[in-house]
Parts: sequence; C-alpha cells; structure tokens
Amino acid sequence: MKRKDMLGLRGVSKEDIVEILDTAERFRNVSERQIKKVPTLRGRTVVTFFMENSTRTRMSFDLAAKRLSADTLGFSAGSSSTKKGETLMDTARNIDAMKPDAIIIRHSAAGAPHMLAKAFPWSVLNAGDGINEHPSQALLDMLTMRDHLGSLAGKTIGIVGDVYHSRVARSNIFGLTTMGANVVVAGPGTMCPPSMAALGVEVRHSIDEVAEDADVIMMLRIQRERLQPGMMATVNEYSRFYGLDLDRLNKAKPEALVMHPGPINRGVEMSPEVADGERSVIMEQVTNGIAIRMALLYLLVGGESAGGDSNAS
Amino acid sequence: MQAETEVILRGGRVVCPVTGTDAVTDVVIRNGLVHAVGAAELPADARVIDCAGCVVSHGFTDLGAELGDPGQTWREDLSTGSEAGAAGGYTTVVCSPRTDPVLDTPVAVAELKNRAATVTGARIEVAGALTVGLQGEVLSELGLMAEAGVVAFSDGGKAMSNAALLRRAIDYARPFGLPVWIRPGNVDLEGSGVMHEGIVSSHIGLRGIPAAAEELGVARGIAFARLTKTSIHLSHVTTKTSVEQIRRARAEGLSVTAAAPARHLVLTDQAVDDSVYDTATRLLPPLRPESDRRAVVEAVLDGTVGCVFADHVPLTRLEKEVEYMFARPGAMGLETALSAALTATQDVSATVKAMAVAPAALIGRRAAVEPGAAADLVVFDPGADRVVSGPFRSKGSNEPLVGLSLKGEIVLTMRDGCIIYGPRTS
Repeated sequence: MKRKDMLGLRGVSKEDIVEILDTAERFRNVSERQIKKVPTLRGRTVVTFFMENSTRTRMSFDLAAKRLSADTLGFSAGSSSTKKGETLMDTARNIDAMKPDAIIIRHSAAGAPHMLAKAFPWSVLNAGDGINEHPSQALLDMLTMRDHLGSLAGKTIGIVGDVYHSRVARSNIFGLTTMGANVVVAGPGTMCPPSMAALGVEVRHSIDEVAEDADVIMMLRIQRERLQPGMMATVNEYSRFYGLDLDRLNKAKPEALVMHPGPINRGVEMSPEVADGERSVIMEQVTNGIAIRMALLYLLVGGESAGGDSNAS
Repeated sequence: MQAETEVILRGGRVVCPVTGTDAVTDVVIRNGLVHAVGAAELPADARVIDCAGCVVSHGFTDLGAELGDPGQTWREDLSTGSEAGAAGGYTTVVCSPRTDPVLDTPVAVAELKNRAATVTGARIEVAGALTVGLQGEVLSELGLMAEAGVVAFSDGGKAMSNAALLRRAIDYARPFGLPVWIRPGNVDLEGSGVMHEGIVSSHIGLRGIPAAAEELGVARGIAFARLTKTSIHLSHVTTKTSVEQIRRARAEGLSVTAAAPARHLVLTDQAVDDSVYDTATRLLPPLRPESDRRAVVEAVLDGTVGCVFADHVPLTRLEKEVEYMFARPGAMGLETALSAALTATQDVSATVKAMAVAPAALIGRRAAVEPGAAADLVVFDPGADRVVSGPFRSKGSNEPLVGLSLKGEIVLTMRDGCIIYGPRTS
C-alpha cells in the first residue's frame, strides 16, 4: 500500500482495504502475548492530537502505537494552546518542528486532517473529522464482519440511526460498498434522507425492514450532545421506532451480528439484553480496533526498514 | 489624475449594446469624453493605441464589492479595491455597506465618498445599508443616505430574516428612487451549512445549505415586488429554480432584476472536493451543481439574470487558513470576473451587457460608447488564454479561480479618459 495518509475510505481501493485487514489479522496475536510489544516502529514518534473528546479511539491508537514500540505523545484541546487562540495550522507547525512521524487527529471540522496532510510531510491518520469520516472505526468493523462472515461481498449490512451525521456510518458505507457489500440504512427521516442513495446505499423506512435480511445490524449512537433542533422529537419515541430490542432481533436472520461503535446509550438505541447478548460482537470490535490501528501505523509509517522485522506473523 | 488631451483606440471591435454598435472601428477620446466613434482623422499630438483583435466597450460596473474600508483595511482599502477594479475592467465599483462601522448613516456615506474621490483606479460609489448595522432590525436613514449620494440600498449580502421589516424597507425606500438589493436567502435554512447540500456534500461530509434557502428568498422577493409594486433586485442568483421563478415573474410584468456572481458561472460544488476543502471555495451562496451552473449561464444569455458581478469579498490568510467550517464565506473576484463570464457565456455582446450595460442601468447610468459620453472604457482581448494566477492588486488571498484556464484578458481600462489600467505612458 503506497500512501502517506489515511484520511478516509472514500476512494480507497479494494486491494488496499484487503491489505489493511490482512495486516491487522497478522498483528492481532501481538495483543494475546504476555509481552505485548514488537519493535516495528522503534524510534518513531506518533502524536495523538485530539481536539474532540474520545476515550476508546484515543486509547486504542495509543496502545497500538505503543505495542509497535513507537514513542507516543498526547495532545488534546483541553491541555493545549488552542485554548489560547492558536490556529490549527500554527499548532501543527509547532508539532512539525518537533519532527513527528505520524499524527492521529480528531477534530470537529470535516477536512481538518486533509488540511494537515496537504501541508506537512508526516503521515496523518484521521480519527474522526466532523461528520465526514472515521476510517479506522470502519476498518475494525469490517475486520469483525469478515471474521464472522468470511467475505463481505454480497452480504447485506444494515445501519440504523443518525446515518447522515455519522462519520462511522459514512466510512463504513464507502468501505463496504467498495468491498461489494449491500448497505441498507434506516432511521428518522431527518437522519436518513432519500438523498443518501447517492452514496450507493438503499434507504429503508423502518428498522424492521433492515433487520429482515441483514447479515449485520449496526446500531449507531444517538449523539444527543450534537443534535440540532428538530432532528428528533424525544428519546422515548426514537427508542420505540429505531431501537433494537430482543423482539426485533428475533425477527432477524438467526445468525445476524449486532454491532455498535460505542459508547452505547443503553435503552435508547439498544436494549441491554441485545448489547450483552450472544449475537453482539461489540467487544470484538474494540479488540480488533487495536490490530487495525497497528496495521495502519505499520503500513503508513513502518516503511521499508520495518518491513522485515514486524514479528507479526 | 490627468486625462490625456486626445487618445485614439484604433481598430478594435467596438461593442455597445446600448447604441447597437458592433463594428471594427476607432474610438476617439478628447478631454475625457468620447469624441467620435468611427474612422478618425489623426491630429499630430494624439496618442494612438492599437486595439486590433480586442474588444472596446463601456467599462464595467460592479454591484457590491466588500472594500473593507473603514475598519477592515487588512482585507482591502479604497485604494487597492479601486486598483483591483481597474485591473478587472471596471470603471465603477459600488462599495458594499458591509464595512466596520457599517455604512448605515449619511455621515459614514459622506466620509467614504470624500475619501473615494481621490482613488486612481475604478470610481467608487456607495450602497447604503437597508438596516442599522445590517442587523435586520431597525431601518436606516435611507432618505438622508440618498441625499448623501448612495446609489442603492442593500442588505450587504446578509439575507434579512424579518419579512415584515423587509417589506417595509422596500416601501419606505420607494420615494427616494433608488434600487433595493436583496440577497435571496433564508438564514434558518443556511444554518450551519458550509456548502451546497447535494451529492458532493454527502460525499465529503460537510454540512449543506439546501438550494431551497435561496429559492425561498427569490420567491419572497418576487412576492414583495408584486405586493409593493416596486422594483426588486435579487443580488445573488445561483440556482435553476431561482432563474425559472425570475423568468416567470418578468413574464408577468414584475420589475425584478437579478445578478449572478461571475465565478458561479464556471465553478461547481465539485470544486470543494477537487480542491480538498480549500476554504477559498467556501461561499455564500455556495457553489452549485453543474445543472444549476448551466441554467444560470443560460439565464445570463437570455437576460433573465441581467447582471454578472464580481461578488468581491477579499479575505486574508488569517481568515481563510483555518478549518473549512470556521472560514468566513467569500472570495475575491474583481480581477477575474470578465474571464469567468466570457469563458462561461462565450459571447462578447452578452458579457458586455451583463457586466457594463445592465449593472450601470441599475444605478441609473447609461453605459454607452457614444459621442459626448464620459470616456469610461475597457479594452479586452476575448481570445486570450489565461491561467489565473497572482499577484493580484487586491489584498485578498482567496481567489478560487487560481489555476483555472479561462478566456479573456483585460488590456486597458480608462476612466474619464484617463488610463487606469494598462499602458499608462506611450
């Protein structure tokens, strides 16, 4: 895979996605060992630069870098000079002066990672930009699906919730359609407009229509903190029409997987019985996240020198 | 500024839609006025400028440039704005009231006009703010500003949300005999959107502004033209449905005029994606899809959208080197509008109508190349290939057309017989 950055899955080829998933599969056993570390990125510096809150994504990237022996440095909006009015570009110029090898950025503005990628020589990994993309999340979702379904081609993946404003959904849609899966979506009319068909997905009217034939049901988190007025009426009504409970799940294919990018609003988009039930692979998603992020860092930053001694397989 | 006694623009294609002239001939300028159009005798001391292969027409009039003066002179000032206008073939630039403080009092207008008297590029006229501070809440002193010499009343590109106040402003302005310019938009629908809502915004994850925001504004403007029996000028028209509404309104006999930003005739919303979130493409109204772009070009050609203007909003690196959603909307345009219009319409006569004749008429001026008229003229080479690049005379650094191959280049601009752009000395 020849690329400097991972900004999103739009336009990323099937071959590249397969290479990332295959590489992640080889890295997975590192996390199973007693000494969870390989020397692949020894001497490299990876900066996590989070301008929005995050727990799991940040920890996951941090662990991935550390398990590859990179030096990691964290930087977040709360502790940084951005609070003092420094622009993103100025902050990045300062980071640049410290000679990093990769920056993992999360930002509320779509395109912020692209702006850095255009301007600087180091690798940029997008850990979520506004409502645009969250590629590492979609890759770990796809790895989890592939573990269970074997192949993604021809499979039907249902995504339910605020699809339009979800960077997780968007990255999944780009990646999954590239891999030949059928993506069907449902959610409140404000969150699943008919225009989404332009992304190559089928917009359905209800969660039941999605559950009917889906091999995977991916539930999205209702981001109550970001909802604009009029996007939905009440949480109660949302849960009634778009929440996944056991009754609904029982009407789905018996082998259908249940996924969620976390954090879950229990009782809103998903009942606890479903979240903790036997078809839920939510914790596998978290575990696969580290392997995917190790793979991304290795493929983008590892370069020739690290290729021979990855100790991954 | 001293006009040369006698200048002859020799052998250009003189295009004057007002007089119906379209012929290769000479224009003789004497003491700042057009003396003759046609083959001329050659006095010994006349300066002859060869215009072969070029178009000679009345200079352009721009309808509302943000000149940043007073209060934002890091973006532009009267001098640089005037020079940028001259470089773009403009002989008159109407300054938008969106300055700091806003041009909403007769004193502010008089002060600006006083300073503008000394500029050496395009002439600067003033549009007064319809409401105090452009806040859309309290009516400005329109009558006193008219006495102070404004040429129009404008919302400065800020769509007014209060429909009742807008209706009253139109009624109130009528006796003063000046046009009211309104940007058709809807503040609520524009919301937090940063580009056109459509396939491209879906693909690149930016919040969209639906075309309906503009189209509701157009519908409102037309309804008010009918209600108040007053002329309305829709200052920024960019969608297919907008032009269809205007076409119907004009067929009905309503006095509705419209203008389109020149860059919207050549760029589409795909530019936001192709430029990888370049903030120079963040505009209000936003760039539209190809079907809208084509419809607006057709509307310029058939006169439904009579005016093409530069929509000049110069911004500096400080305001544009930020995340896309945090960037101020707007782009420069004075120095590229002719090339954009000509490339899109491929029609010299229509371009002259849209950039010189119709905008001048809107502020009560006659843009004719005829004996006795002020020698406000532009000479441009319509066939010249131009890859847009700086440096620009404007202080702005936000020109989304940079890098594009366009047709048409300004050769010379003359105001009152003085060369304000081009070969100043013989």
